[in-house]
Amino acid sequence: MVDIDASQMTTRDINLRLKSNSFSNNGITVKNSQGRHNLGVGLSSNTEIKFEGNVGYFCGGLSSQCQIVIQGNAGWAVGDNLMSGSIAVEGNAGASAGSTMRGGSLFVRGNSGARTGISMKGGHLVVGGDSGFMTGFMMQKGRIVVCGNVGEAVGDSMYEGEIFVGGTIGSLGSDAIVQDASEDELIEVWEMLAKEGIAERPKFKKIVSAKKLYHFDSLERLEKNVI
Amino acid sequence: MVKPSSQIWTPEAIEDVHEKAELGRYRIRGFSSFQKVPHFDDLVFLSTGLTRFPLEGYKEKCNTKVVIGHRYASQPLELATPIYITGMSYGALSQTAKNALARASSMVGVATCTGDGGMLPSERKNADKLIYQVLPSRYGSSPADLMQSDAIEIVVGQGAKPGTGGLLMGVKVLGDVAEMRDLPSGIDQRSPTRHPDWLGPDDLSIKIEELREATEGRVPIHVKLPACRVVDDVKLAAKAGADAIVIDSMLAGTGASADIMLDQSGIPTIAAIPLARKALSELGLDGEVSLIASGGIRNGADVAKALALGADAVAIGLAALIALNCNKEIPEANYEQEIGVPAGYCRHCHTGKCPVGITTQDPDLEQRLDFEQAANRVANFINATSMELALITRSLGKGDVRSLEPEDLVALTMEASAMAQIPLAGSNKVY
Repeated sequence: MVDIDASQMTTRDINLRLKSNSFSNNGITVKNSQGRHNLGVGLSSNTEIKFEGNVGYFCGGLSSQCQIVIQGNAGWAVGDNLMSGSIAVEGNAGASAGSTMRGGSLFVRGNSGARTGISMKGGHLVVGGDSGFMTGFMMQKGRIVVCGNVGEAVGDSMYEGEIFVGGTIGSLGSDAIVQDASEDELIEVWEMLAKEGIAERPKFKKIVSAKKLYHFDSLERLEKNVI
Repeated sequence: MVKPSSQIWTPEAIEDVHEKAELGRYRIRGFSSFQKVPHFDDLVFLSTGLTRFPLEGYKEKCNTKVVIGHRYASQPLELATPIYITGMSYGALSQTAKNALARASSMVGVATCTGDGGMLPSERKNADKLIYQVLPSRYGSSPADLMQSDAIEIVVGQGAKPGTGGLLMGVKVLGDVAEMRDLPSGIDQRSPTRHPDWLGPDDLSIKIEELREATEGRVPIHVKLPACRVVDDVKLAAKAGADAIVIDSMLAGTGASADIMLDQSGIPTIAAIPLARKALSELGLDGEVSLIASGGIRNGADVAKALALGADAVAIGLAALIALNCNKEIPEANYEQEIGVPAGYCRHCHTGKCPVGITTQDPDLEQRLDFEQAANRVANFINATSMELALITRSLGKGDVRSLEPEDLVALTMEASAMAQIPLAGSNKVY
């Protein structure tokens, strides 16, 4: 595995090095990430990348295929717009973790902040601890699993997708409802946790859209004539 | 005796109450604001006499080329004339309309813009210069598409509906439109208005850097603002690192908005441009951060006035759609029968029943728009607009559209004078 020292490089140079793929077989370790923003952004190769230390906003954002491990905490929007591949945060994540992700998987071993999985369009997002308010806000597709508690307004205005919560629910957002999870679904979720090294098997509550906000419930006279 | 209608309770106000009493929700429509506000027609040029020499209107060279977003981008956007086509989504528009706009932009050396819902491969193919919008919804957002863009535009809000998100009625959220957006087919899409991964200007600056990292600093990053608290917003966007700022006024168009937002929010274009220019000047960023104005640009005189007030370029939306054929009587369409109003009065983009095949996802209606002819019409319109711009510029004794300045204008009304900070005609006074 190749090591690079972030403290001696600009963010652009670090990202260019990560994109260069010259270490593709053995992966790369970025030492001294020191909470730097925008590390590992826009990557698109099947590469293992390890960040030693905390990272700032948008780590692994706009990326696909790569496997990223963050040995520390992550700032806002870790894995935003992730298309494929995986990101694992061994500490906690800030707000908007996995926002708008369309594929791949994001795992936060600790807690995750407000708006976790906001506008998520696909993929899997697993939080080992608690997640903050508006988790799954306007979620469109995919699956969010929170082993601990979630804050207020979970699943607000979600279209599709599902949110599994192991602990308590602060409150449900607009148009979100709790449904019974089937045994098969629970087994699937437990298997996802087992892959991340979580042995517990919480009896998850499943939150989905009631689909009552899908349509305006009335049309204007003129619209009635043409729609 | 029948008395004239009340100033407050006009026939339109009465009809509005009647409609909402039936409807039980806000009304929705397309097009743009119906408010009577000061606009470019309230400003005129002071062309040459003995104090200035004109250039030959039809012959002498007049530069129209501008470069946008050169502050940090290694490959800024070069426009043959200071006009580009604004973001209008595939979904709001038909694929033929999107492709025709893209082709037209290439024919005249300008750019077009994706809009909400992602980038069509055919749009990329047809557009030599394509601006990729990053909106709160991130519908269809793809890093691969982002990286093949020629500029990126972060949309903070739209002038037609500031502080609210996009709307796309279920009749248009079908097939690949729904698929590209990862939405259930047929739903009435109400897009978010806040971005999912940043909230304030400090976060925005990091988001801008993220986009720069992803594109290796190659393309300019625009920030599009609705024209509301213009001075502060422009300063914050500029400080956040924008290469260009788009100021979108209350007169900008839309395919669908709550009617109340179209008419009751934002400020006019002639007020917004001088405020935005003032903000950049106060930061010492004139000539560094590009300023793009949009909202109600109809002809070359409007473009020239926008530039004279301080814009570096303009973006057009509704004008490009009208050039495509919006609100035109064509043999295949029967407006009265299909929409319930005559040609010229259609504001029904949100219904998806566009009689001329522009704002529809209905394949039969879309067939009414011929790609080649449509692209030619839009290219002709932009060429004509550019010629008008050059004609006016020469008449002011200038050989470069970048030399247009506030001193070239006077205002015809006190309101326009006060808003545009231009002296009232016949006086030296700015009201």
